[in-house]
Amino acid sequence: MALVEIENLSISFGGRPAVRGLSLNIERGDRFGIIGESGSGKSLTALAITGLLPETAKVSGQVRFDGAPLPSNEREMARLRGKHIGMVFQEPMTALNPLMTIGDQIGEAGTLADIATDIDGLLQEVGLLPPHGARFPHELSGGQRQRAMIAMALASQPELMIADEPTSALDAITQRKVLDLIGDICERRRMTLIFISHDIRAVAALCTKVAVMRAGEIVEQGSINAVLQSPKAEYTQLLLAASRMERRPRSAQAREALLTVDAVSRDYGHGGFWLWRQKPVRAVDRVSFSLGRGESVALVGPSGCGKSTLARMIVGLDSATEGQFRLDGTLYHGRDLPPLLRAGVSLVFQDPFSSFDPRMTVGTSLGEPLRLLGQMTREERERRLVEAIASVGLDPVMLSRYAHEFSGGQRQRLAIARAMVTKPRLLVLDEPVSALDVSVRGDVLNLLARLQEEHGLTYLIISHDLDMVAAMADRVLVMEAGRIIEQGRPNDLFARPQHELTRALMAARLPDVV
Amino acid sequence: MSWRHNPGLVGGLIAIIIFAALGLTSLWWTPYPIQAISVADRFQPLGPEHWLGTDHLGRDLLSMVMHGILTSLLVAASGVVIGIGVGVPMGLAAVAWGGWVEWLVLRLSDLAFAFPALIVAILIATLHGPGELNAIIAIGIFNIPVFARVARGGALAIATQDYVAAARLAGLGNAAIAARHLLPNIASLIIVQGTIQLSLGILAEAALSYVGIGTQAPETSLGLMLRDVQGVFLIHPWLSVLPGLTIVFLVIALNIAGDGLRDAIDPRLRRQGMNHGAG
Repeated sequence: MALVEIENLSISFGGRPAVRGLSLNIERGDRFGIIGESGSGKSLTALAITGLLPETAKVSGQVRFDGAPLPSNEREMARLRGKHIGMVFQEPMTALNPLMTIGDQIGEAGTLADIATDIDGLLQEVGLLPPHGARFPHELSGGQRQRAMIAMALASQPELMIADEPTSALDAITQRKVLDLIGDICERRRMTLIFISHDIRAVAALCTKVAVMRAGEIVEQGSINAVLQSPKAEYTQLLLAASRMERRPRSAQAREALLTVDAVSRDYGHGGFWLWRQKPVRAVDRVSFSLGRGESVALVGPSGCGKSTLARMIVGLDSATEGQFRLDGTLYHGRDLPPLLRAGVSLVFQDPFSSFDPRMTVGTSLGEPLRLLGQMTREERERRLVEAIASVGLDPVMLSRYAHEFSGGQRQRLAIARAMVTKPRLLVLDEPVSALDVSVRGDVLNLLARLQEEHGLTYLIISHDLDMVAAMADRVLVMEAGRIIEQGRPNDLFARPQHELTRALMAARLPDVV
Repeated sequence: MSWRHNPGLVGGLIAIIIFAALGLTSLWWTPYPIQAISVADRFQPLGPEHWLGTDHLGRDLLSMVMHGILTSLLVAASGVVIGIGVGVPMGLAAVAWGGWVEWLVLRLSDLAFAFPALIVAILIATLHGPGELNAIIAIGIFNIPVFARVARGGALAIATQDYVAAARLAGLGNAAIAARHLLPNIASLIIVQGTIQLSLGILAEAALSYVGIGTQAPETSLGLMLRDVQGVFLIHPWLSVLPGLTIVFLVIALNIAGDGLRDAIDPRLRRQGMNHGAG
């Protein structure tokens, strides 16, 4: 008998269906992956299994756990969740209680299931040390918090663990470690796993069975090998194709420098007053490099290594404490970048959802940087906007709409259009695709490659996604703790990584599917 | 947002419109002139001649309540206008410029918070004599730090968004960012706080008039009506119950409408069901 049986499950909100006619059987011991884009209903399916759907949801169909239908009584449902189901959420910081120590929270989860908990043992099982149990969530790193979440889920010795995008808030190295940990634990405890993700490679690395969801329906399911080797549904084929990044042939001739970064440092003061002032933290430490015209350079490193701070200084959002930049022969230190040169440098933000003012039409937002070029006639302005939006493959009619009417991929295209509107020479791309669904990442990268070819752009790409870097960059700079520790062409660097961090980043890459 | 889903907003707004219409009518027409004293007609009960009766000087109570509502609304609304006009730019400037500007704004609002409206009103009354205008200024000064804090709090959250950084990249100065990006995005917060301050302002006006440093006779306000009749409260309770109840209903209507307004325009509360776990 299957552990979880879902029969004809439909969920809708205010008449809008979110999940339609979904049927699933999850056998004991399965590691079941659910793949889908954001909004495809994969998280709602998991919430339906745990009976945690919001009250406004209209549900029909049946969910059976261990042969019995889910109890309608909230108290019994809570007991079922406490004893038989463990859950790991996407964002561990908000899923843990900030006022309780990790150990107490793990102990509480065990007490609720009437199980004497060996807290130290659980901590060790998830790769933490006993002293970590006495700490509060904010005293742990993101990866450690997620480990603590897993220990909490394990405290009740559940038969089923549901992990909802457990690694998407973590950086590449931690992501791989947490995935391996989940896999090991399921193996050891013979636990059933439901793993929800939009990353087909994470699912391929961890799961034995998989269901692919789109717009509230399952388009394909089966064993992981069958689905990945011979995908039947068109959408699965699309997802698989998008997860492979083709490397672009790049020429490697020496180029004249467009931007030179000369021993730049950035210190952050840390509060305190006069004599009691704490020692400033150095986010960027004497970094020097140069970008050639038309070159595409990637800046790689774990979160907190100073790569975003460096990018903000280059585009003029922040000023260097020491050192200077030279763009096209003009010296600047950051915020003092003169307007006309500012028009020559653009930044594309990571999160397409917060980079447009919700109260402005897309056209107004796109037109904002044009003021850098001085007075402009109405027609000229209009012409530039239409040109920019057409160059990213969108319809000029969209200029009069608002940002919330667009999907993530479209918004990132619009963000690129805004960056292109002043016809810059240097584009700084801060994790340009990491907030996007896998299926549209390829499109956006292709667009960036085409724009570079057409306009002779120089790219500085900031990322921790080595596959994307390998596909896009001519040269890679690896950054750790504010310094550049290694650089080289991607093929050489990835084939023979010299530095420990580079090796760790390489090891964290998820294996290619197929 | 359909009207049917928000009965509070509709009910509150209708009540406020009725109150405001009563008040505005008193500008052109009242059943009796409010200054018309006729001692012979004093303490008339409710009846066809005087719908709500008369007070200890024989003045028509309905006329006085109508005019009192107008005074209360006018004073409170002017106080809110002063508060928004000065406080919101202060709060926005604190966020857009930061540094010593922010320090100055915060310390100024601390200072203003330290003086209750009553103390400010007494101070102004000592310097310039009591009156409606002084009540407006006192309530306005009291409102400034409230709006400065609300504007700063809202704008702080907006200022970390990427679109503000994008605007800086586009060469917009601090003032332009505050006007183009920060202000439109905190407008809903300001409107909601405005309705709250409006009801507080009505209470403050009543209190100031009651202690005798607000509206002065022969003008009238709800607080002044309470003050006038406190000596005969035990014999003719209706004379103080009427203005008291009017204040209560006015404030309740404003609070209900304010709550409804917040539900209607606060995106965090809107369509909560759909946003939760959609993925």
